Amino acid sequence: MAITEDRPLALEAGAVTKVAARPLGALTRPQSDVGWASWFTTVDHKKIGIMYGVGSLFFFLFGGVEALMIRIQLAAPDGQFLSESLYNQVFTMHGVTMVFLVIMPMAAAFANYLLPLQVGARDVAFPRLNAFSFWCWLAGAIFLNTSWFLGGAPAGGWFAYAPNTSVTFAPGSGMDFYAIGLQIVGIASLVSAINLIVTVLNMRAPGMSLLKMPVLTWMLLVTQFLLLFAVPVITIALFLLTFDRSFGANFFNVEQGGSPLLWQHLFWIFGHPEVYILILPAFGIISEVIPTFSRKPIFGYPFMVGSGIAIGFMGWGVWAHHMFVSGVGEISVAAFSLSTMFIAVPTGVKILNWLATMWGGRLRFNTPMLFACGVIAMFTIGGLSGVTHAVAPSDTQQTDTYYIVAHFHYVIFGGSLLGMFSGFYFWWPKVFGYKLSEKWGKINFWLMLIGFNMTFGPMHVLGLQGMARRHQSYAKEDGFGFWNGIVSAGAFVIAFGTLAFLINIWLSARSAKRNPVEVGPDPWDARSLEWSTASPTPVHNFDVEPTVEFQDDWWHRKWGENEEGKIVRKAYPADIAQDGSATDVHLPSPSYWPLVLSLSLPVIGYSVIYTFWLMIPAGALFLAGFLGWALEPADDPEAAHGHADHGHDDDHDADASADAADEGASVG
Amino acid sequence: MKLHTPQPETTEVESSQATPPRRFVSRRNGLLTVVGLSLLLAGCGDRHLSTMDPESPIAEKLDNFLVWLLLAAGVIFVLVQGAILYMAKQFRVKAPEDESQVYPDEEFPEQIHGNTRLEIGWTILPTVIMAVIAFFTLGLLFELDDVSANEDRQIQEVVVVGQQWWWEFQYHLDDDGIPDIVTANELVLPVGEEIRLRVTSRDVIHSFWIPTLNGKRDAVPGRYSPWTIEAGNAGRFPGECTEFCGFSHAYMEKFAVGLPLDEWQEWAATQQRDAVLPTEGTAEFAGWEVFNNQCASCHVINGLTSHYEDGSIDDFALYSNVGVGDDLADVLNQPPVRYIDKQTQVAGAAPNLTHLQSRSTFAGGIFELYKNPDAERYIDLASEGTLNRGALEAWIVNAPEQKANAWDSPSGQRGMTPFTALSAEDVDNLVEFLTNLEYEGAE
Repeated sequence: MAITEDRPLALEAGAVTKVAARPLGALTRPQSDVGWASWFTTVDHKKIGIMYGVGSLFFFLFGGVEALMIRIQLAAPDGQFLSESLYNQVFTMHGVTMVFLVIMPMAAAFANYLLPLQVGARDVAFPRLNAFSFWCWLAGAIFLNTSWFLGGAPAGGWFAYAPNTSVTFAPGSGMDFYAIGLQIVGIASLVSAINLIVTVLNMRAPGMSLLKMPVLTWMLLVTQFLLLFAVPVITIALFLLTFDRSFGANFFNVEQGGSPLLWQHLFWIFGHPEVYILILPAFGIISEVIPTFSRKPIFGYPFMVGSGIAIGFMGWGVWAHHMFVSGVGEISVAAFSLSTMFIAVPTGVKILNWLATMWGGRLRFNTPMLFACGVIAMFTIGGLSGVTHAVAPSDTQQTDTYYIVAHFHYVIFGGSLLGMFSGFYFWWPKVFGYKLSEKWGKINFWLMLIGFNMTFGPMHVLGLQGMARRHQSYAKEDGFGFWNGIVSAGAFVIAFGTLAFLINIWLSARSAKRNPVEVGPDPWDARSLEWSTASPTPVHNFDVEPTVEFQDDWWHRKWGENEEGKIVRKAYPADIAQDGSATDVHLPSPSYWPLVLSLSLPVIGYSVIYTFWLMIPAGALFLAGFLGWALEPADDPEAAHGHADHGHDDDHDADASADAADEGASVG
Repeated sequence: MKLHTPQPETTEVESSQATPPRRFVSRRNGLLTVVGLSLLLAGCGDRHLSTMDPESPIAEKLDNFLVWLLLAAGVIFVLVQGAILYMAKQFRVKAPEDESQVYPDEEFPEQIHGNTRLEIGWTILPTVIMAVIAFFTLGLLFELDDVSANEDRQIQEVVVVGQQWWWEFQYHLDDDGIPDIVTANELVLPVGEEIRLRVTSRDVIHSFWIPTLNGKRDAVPGRYSPWTIEAGNAGRFPGECTEFCGFSHAYMEKFAVGLPLDEWQEWAATQQRDAVLPTEGTAEFAGWEVFNNQCASCHVINGLTSHYEDGSIDDFALYSNVGVGDDLADVLNQPPVRYIDKQTQVAGAAPNLTHLQSRSTFAGGIFELYKNPDAERYIDLASEGTLNRGALEAWIVNAPEQKANAWDSPSGQRGMTPFTALSAEDVDNLVEFLTNLEYEGAE
């Protein structure tokens, strides 16, 4: 087994051969961690993170094309580009795609890649479960999109209000794909949430108390808790929908005493925490970026963490503000109006703390910082418009108009997505070993920011002018033509901004290949532990398990105070960072079974929609995956195991933690 | 299923409504004008859909409240954006030229980890701002909820029924629980009276909204949600459906028509009259025969067609119940004992056509029935209007081509069936019949 790659090896090369009997051939674990095939069996949180990133970017293009189709249709009055039927499918899938197949997995990409690194761990707690999450997500995403070729995509809106989703009113199988597809994607989120919570709570480096964790880790932790409690709610709602549609149940059937509002309550009890699931990771990202590029610590760390937790809690008490006009009664409306207003408080605290972090700093406007400032500026607009519909009477005029469309795009695009882009530019050198081009980064940022405001700014006006959402066209006399023209033009500017990002990746990767520049472990003079190891991150993350003394520990190792209280350099990153040269670190072995198990889920889905005979192959796949997972050996016996005699002093510690990880995997 | 967008003819019809009747200039919102936003924000369309152009006391309150909110939000907006721009100018340093991996050993700014007092301060500040907004919000909320009990009101309540893809209005002028007037897509109101509505749906969720008069209220099947509406001025105020309801969600309009009290009373008196059979041998009579054969299974004409006996309103009869094939036919072929005339005017599946000629639109409010919808008085449309005959005939012959619907849905009929088999003469007669109906007790 000769593995050659310029990255440090996880397994010692050449130390094979002496294992006696192999277990059943099918149950041996795959060995390779290089080459294309290794991506299918990997349990490495970094590779999984990268796959989440690639997958979410792919679907970002997909959802973007859907957005452009909507904007072509609405660019001028009496649009003829999409039929009513197709328009409904496209706007439904645009929403579903952007929420479940773009922002959530993009956040998962950061969470997977960065959480273990930021807490100083070698991997997540349950590496195979982590792989299972990713494959589940991908299986669900592909399953959902196969509906385009199987009689039409879901057309009931991403919110899927009953009874418009019943068999009576949505007779095709689109809504079945919606219900089951999101179910599968939900499994991915739920499993991943448990995995990451355990990782953060149990696998932090020595010395890293909860209040020394980076803000990103905190925000991701809160996000995982939100997922842990929110996903089961949508799971139940989707099961009820599937039962109604496939098995003749009557949960939402008014004739049989069912309640359409039941769906709305369930959907939004999930749906509102979901908003924070989308935004908190971005808050975390810019809480890393802003201090780094301001050369100051985050202002008011306890308040930043506390407000994130407060948002997480309060996010559970505001769902009915999506239902102010549904007829839930004035007392409910009043209560939810109040709770919604006060969630603006912790959000406001965050914005002020970011501004205070920048205040008096030495600001460098590299691309990550530009995007981070974009988040503060744009999210503020989304927050302010949010207050205008927290005012319930006012909301009766705004809800289901383009004013709302403007609002949540300022939150989710202007907040979440710009935050993710900030993160892409910030951690790109850590992940791939080269920086993205600043020049193209700035083009990317300005095109996106301008396009974004052209697209969603005028929607405020359109909404107040009375333009309702989800209308396939509008008449010339409505007077919406002018602003819609600008909006559609803006959408294409965003598309060019996205194109600039792709060009940037391509050009930067090419130039890194032709003319490699050593970026070093810590190109931005950043603050958290992931910057204390080599770039790209070695497969075993850390040669030596870091020991943490301070919040922003890595920064404190580089800089200290002299007698006059001035900041002076203690060490250069290149001198104190781990170089990733450890060769004998025992890591969890790859596995086939997460992929196999996840593949059974879409087959079960098709079976529910088409024929129960498909349950046979689905069940076979499921059992194979399940049993293979349970029975495969904890390690491949042929794979190298640590304890080589030339190891470092810390071998034992390193091994112990990796072993713990692998045992976790076996249990999971 | 092939879907069609409205044909060019349709567009022409729609554009004929370019200037809706506006006999009263709306009260301009002083604040907006002062802020100088009015030009930018006020609806520039001819269709009078803008929430910033209120035509009723309620809508005006909502609009004023929003203006204050936007002003407050504007201040915060300017402060935050200003802070970012100021800092970008003031505290910016150039990034190192070579983007080298290590930053130079430069001066650090003061390392401030926080300021608890400041932070407590800016936790309290937004709390106070929000509390102030909350105070006024609750005030407005309960104020709007409190419908004055006007003893001599003309209308006890109107039941608003949404369905794919049109609106039915059942007027209760007295307390007997049986609707006195049933009409479609045009809610005709006496100016200055706050009318109580109960909003419901027969199929999926829709949302009732006249932006210039009040906010919206969802029409949820199985629920009657209270709502109020008042036309502050005379005029015709359009509104679109605002809860996604399927294919023709965008083509489901309704209008509130504000009439001076005397005109409204005249309108209401007419609407309560039943139709009488046309004289035999006329085109109208031939039209009635076509209607009776082809249309009467869904459409009601008071005095001429059959209805439910017990006066019950099958308010959330889903179309799956009255669907294609057996159900509806069976129901209507029952012995006439169960169905006698005139007990109720609610059809359940299609608009009541008794007073079609008195309305200004048809087909879910998307086509003008008359070429001169801005005739002097709404109540004179039937006698003075120039019929938009081509559009009406096109609609009768092939409705799905004019407006996407699900008439051939495997799970139940929704929307109007095409009647392409009708001869041109039949269609002519039918239109004659529908637009020249005479009524009992008319002079």
